[in-house]
Amino acid sequence: MRVVVDLNRCQAYAQCCYAAPERFVLQGDEILVYDPAPPASDRAAIDRAVQACPVRAIRVEHDALAERAA
Amino acid sequence: MTDASDGTLFAQVRDSANRADPYPLYARLRVRPVARQDDGTFVASGYAAIRALLHDPRVSSEDLPPAEHPPTGNPVKDWIVNPLKDWVTDRHRPFIFRDPPDHGLLRRQVMGQFTIARVQGMKRRTEGLVAQCLERCAGSRHFDLVDDLAYPLPVTVICELLGVPREDEPRFHAWATQLATALEPESRHDEALRARNTETFDAIADYMRDLIREKRRAPRDDMLSGLATAKDPQAGRMSDPDLIATAILLLIAGHETTVNLITNGMLTLLRRPRELARLRADPERAPRVIEELLRYEPPVHFRTRVARAPIPVAGTVIPEGAPLVLLFAAGNRDPARFPDPDRFDPDRADNQHFGFGGALHYCVGAPLARIEAEAALTALAARLSNPRLAEDPPPYRPGASLRGPKRLLLHIDGIG
Repeated sequence: MRVVVDLNRCQAYAQCCYAAPERFVLQGDEILVYDPAPPASDRAAIDRAVQACPVRAIRVEHDALAERAA
Repeated sequence: MTDASDGTLFAQVRDSANRADPYPLYARLRVRPVARQDDGTFVASGYAAIRALLHDPRVSSEDLPPAEHPPTGNPVKDWIVNPLKDWVTDRHRPFIFRDPPDHGLLRRQVMGQFTIARVQGMKRRTEGLVAQCLERCAGSRHFDLVDDLAYPLPVTVICELLGVPREDEPRFHAWATQLATALEPESRHDEALRARNTETFDAIADYMRDLIREKRRAPRDDMLSGLATAKDPQAGRMSDPDLIATAILLLIAGHETTVNLITNGMLTLLRRPRELARLRADPERAPRVIEELLRYEPPVHFRTRVARAPIPVAGTVIPEGAPLVLLFAAGNRDPARFPDPDRFDPDRADNQHFGFGGALHYCVGAPLARIEAEAALTALAARLSNPRLAEDPPPYRPGASLRGPKRLLLHIDGIG
């Protein structure tokens, strides 16, 4: 699973940090740090983060090949 | 008179006769995305206009009129006590009614206590509370979603987060019910209602003052202890009046809204049995279902503001001083922003709704609301056997902004 956040869109509403705190952290008031390659076991939490983002800045790309191999 | 120039549309929205389905009125309002009403209020109902105004620094949230006191004849009261009271309430309005820079300082202190660990910690607890509510109704063939689950759940959650002792919780249930009416614009003109609200505010403020003193004396791991003892690098320690105003705000805002999200949510799903069945089969659909509910049937239909300068928007100019209504629930159904907006579709892409407002005042409790709604709706979908609406539409509470059913009676075959 590959996570991409459009940091031009991100307005630091921090909703992803509540939905998936292990993968999204706000540094200070507005710098988002995130894990671009979270484990597949985090799928539900990452999906919550994607859905909760008020500006829809988070995108998930599933690497079908890698996931099949795993 | 052409439809769009009907300056009574918003008055019709507030008329309780239209509570069950205000959406046709919203569609008529949207013909003019920002429409002047006969009383001088400007109503923004188009998505783009609402968005622009939410982010406009000329739009102020400090729109509460100053409190008024009829003269009592007692000079001490008239000249000292009451003006002092006004000054205090003016200076210590909760941050939902305040602008920068005060708003940001207060909000930051609250967010500092609304920690991820605390909110996440409430997740399992909330699921347990939902299970308890359902257990209490086991064996019954009827279920009132409001009384049996949606109403008691959020008060318990917010009381536990704040750190209100369990034995005092019943008082909070009663206060929350009364105070919810204070957020409706109607309450500002209804003398009897205002008097009752003031009484409730005084009672809850007295209670909070004592509780805060107790938290300072013996702090525990809860939000009130944190707010009462923490020191912001810029703002310092939060003053007692600000702390009381904040606690009351969290109580009201954390309560009625969540009741509505759960109740409107279940109503929407029961009207679409296929969607309910899909949620039952796949609980991981819950986040999508909830975001779509926040668009389609939001718990807060509008918030009020005031223009601090003339604001050109959507082909009109809102004059300085004009009261302003941001009609979020109408923006959420704007066909210019959402394809097929009157269709409930959890798989909708790009669902940037106004369910939690937006910009500086974006709902502080959004993560908690999502947790509570997810716990309630997934448990209801999984455990209610063959639920049917006993009445449709259900009766609604009076609020046009915090809009939701007074009760939601269901027939069920049982609780699994």
